[in-house]
Amino acid sequence: VVPGETALAFYKAKNPTDKPVIGISTYNVIPFEAGQYFNKIQCFCFEEQRLNPQEEVDMPVFFYIDPEFVEDPKMAKVDLITLSYTFFEAKEGQKLPLPGYQ
Amino acid sequence: MSTAMNFSSKTFKPRPPDKGAFPLDHFGECSAFKERFMECLRDSGYESGACRRRAMAYLECRMERQLMANEPLEKLGFKDLIDEKSEAKPEK
Repeated sequence: VVPGETALAFYKAKNPTDKPVIGISTYNVIPFEAGQYFNKIQCFCFEEQRLNPQEEVDMPVFFYIDPEFVEDPKMAKVDLITLSYTFFEAKEGQKLPLPGYQ
Repeated sequence: MSTAMNFSSKTFKPRPPDKGAFPLDHFGECSAFKERFMECLRDSGYESGACRRRAMAYLECRMERQLMANEPLEKLGFKDLIDEKSEAKPEK
């Protein structure tokens, strides 16, 4: 992936149970300092998504790395950025708090 | 892992996506486009830049099926590919 160039990536999610599951996901970027350069244009996260029993879906993320990444001396040794998502089961009436607001 | 035991006051602050969330493609309407894109990635050794045309085709598929808000492709970082396309087509 070249900083400044938009890129597409796919994750896959499966609901192995026999009940529909409503989930919501949040993400993490490693190394931590690279997170500020990671810009998501569109993804499947932050909103509740419903997966029917046994359903498997593709989950796209459309993003780019801020071109300023190449100017940052702290990023000079970074050639691998890992994006991970964690799915939480949404409970009725519960809103997933965004860290940082607590 | 940069999660719990930090002495620094930095916490990772997730930011919502610029253009919001993709609805799920429950019926796999764009799966074929996704497969073509993934095939390209595998063949190119996972060079994202080599597969931008197919990434663009995937997003166009979503837009055509209301699985993504319509957005001019030039604004999604595909301006160079669009310009190439229109240069290839002679103006009537």
